[in-house]
Amino acid sequence: MVHPGRGAKVTTKLAAFRRVGVMVVRELALTALLLLGVSLVVFVILHLSPGDPFSVLLEGQAPGQAARASVREALGVPTTWYGRYLAWLGNMAHGNLGTSIRTGVPVAGEIVRAGPNTLYLTLGSLLVTLLLAVPLALYSAWRRSGALARALTLAVYLISAVPVFWLGYVVIYLCIHRFGLFPLLSATAEPQRHGWLYILLPIIVLGVANGTVSEVTRHLREELGRVMAEDYIRTARAKGAPVWRHAFKEGFLLPMTEMIAAKMPFVLGGAVIVEQVFNWPGLGRMAWQAAQDRDFPVIMGITIVAAAFVRLASLLRGVIYAGVNPRTATE
Amino acid sequence: MRRYRQAAGEVGERRERSRWRAATTADLAAVGYGLLVVALVVISYTLGAVGWLPDDPARMDMARLNAPPGPGHALGTDFLGRDMLSRLIVGIQAYFLPGLLAVATSLALGATLGVVAGYRDGRAEALVTYLSNLVDSFPRLVLILLVIAAFRADIYYVMLVVGITGAPAIASLIAGKIQFLRTKSFIEAAHVLGLSTRVIVVKHILWYNCAPLLIIQATLGMGEAILVETSLSYLGFGVQEPTPSWGNMVQAGANYFFHGKFWPSTAPALAILGTILGFHLLGDGLNNILESKSAP
Repeated sequence: MVHPGRGAKVTTKLAAFRRVGVMVVRELALTALLLLGVSLVVFVILHLSPGDPFSVLLEGQAPGQAARASVREALGVPTTWYGRYLAWLGNMAHGNLGTSIRTGVPVAGEIVRAGPNTLYLTLGSLLVTLLLAVPLALYSAWRRSGALARALTLAVYLISAVPVFWLGYVVIYLCIHRFGLFPLLSATAEPQRHGWLYILLPIIVLGVANGTVSEVTRHLREELGRVMAEDYIRTARAKGAPVWRHAFKEGFLLPMTEMIAAKMPFVLGGAVIVEQVFNWPGLGRMAWQAAQDRDFPVIMGITIVAAAFVRLASLLRGVIYAGVNPRTATE
Repeated sequence: MRRYRQAAGEVGERRERSRWRAATTADLAAVGYGLLVVALVVISYTLGAVGWLPDDPARMDMARLNAPPGPGHALGTDFLGRDMLSRLIVGIQAYFLPGLLAVATSLALGATLGVVAGYRDGRAEALVTYLSNLVDSFPRLVLILLVIAAFRADIYYVMLVVGITGAPAIASLIAGKIQFLRTKSFIEAAHVLGLSTRVIVVKHILWYNCAPLLIIQATLGMGEAILVETSLSYLGFGVQEPTPSWGNMVQAGANYFFHGKFWPSTAPALAILGTILGFHLLGDGLNNILESKSAP
């Protein structure tokens, strides 16, 4: 015999599932719209910049307006700005980000080569930040006004204000010059004893001093405190159910994803500096070099890739939110 | 003047007990330290601007290179024997006015956008949310490097970018506040009394009720601007040697740092740390005192 309530239960589950689907589609559409906006911003900066890529072709010829126009026409360059934008966007959609002015190498390949290094650095740093912030948040949510909680809050503020480049020097000096824990050069031919550990240094430095620790700690603590004061937690506590399991999703999982998505750009920005300090062959160093040489295609490609990465993190957050709480889909 | 007793906690209406009296010691200490830092920065900027310095920041004392703090040089010397204290004071020139430009830009733009979004809900609000998400997509430093590559490494261009990218966050805060205030009776009363929307927005909403919010955002924005300026001059895109900036001073001291001469790099690093800490504490302390909902 079929249980009478079962059909209704399946229907509500299906409805919830559909709502999650709607939410995910909406997040995807929003991401696409934002990426379009990102490309437009980058294009407008390109458009407003004083140099003109075509003047390179006519260098030393003192071209008149007519010569410029004829070169453009011969190359099939659209005359209107939106025509040029669409052509540029089409190129990017095919994975063509242009070639570096300095080296003449296609930008896309360079980004694919250096990208993973930055990926390790940023994801590792986020992990370090969370490893630092989560215990602190849990402790201060538990002992809100203790002397130790106050001291820890101040310490977290101090850490967040440390200039990341100076912390890099301190760590390099201590680990390499003073105690000789790591080799001075990381990529020498013969394998070094602790060579693989070297990559941990920039990860730890960026994780500690990317300036977001205090904000992450505070957000986690406040959200956890807010959820613990909710009625449903009180109910769970009253009936003897495990409080932690009830508070986990809303009090911990959601604020964590929120912070990971929101702090991603800060960590990526910090990577520019840390890669410089540690001579790390990633996108940040590439961006620095490109800005130094005014190598526009390279820095443009890096900007777009970085923004896409940030959007991806936000998309992930949207999906997790939808999965945890389908009600938000209808708002 | 008569004071009306009203229910506590209503926004825009008089409270029996001021928020300052109800503030915790920790928040007051944070605000106090922050104000001290702001005063020090402003005074040092003025001293540097009129050239009233303890020593000539360009004079080299070859007998005392990389000296620690001591008599003669209160904060020691750098790798060329130049007086560290004077260079730190002059270094404030590199970020003070540009930082103010960034703050003014983001406040003006953010308040305008916020008022529009708050008064016309729906589409305008969606636009502000979109802009805010768009701006948050870019790692700030990468976007600035893009602008540097496209135009030139001018600190005022950079600070314009910092200001513009800071605006949507302020706009959404103000829009939220306005939507809350619009339902309040004193705003409705102002409308009924026939005050123009401009007066209500500028005086009753922005000036009377959003001033703390704007001050807090200005504080945090200045901290951000200092961080950007020092990072850029560290990376070599800001002020160039021999003109001092805290960022390029840290960078210039780096080679000596690894040989055990820590001070030339550490002194400007501590200046950055103390200043940014001050702006953060001031912003968060003011926020806890003036904007928190749980306060009486």
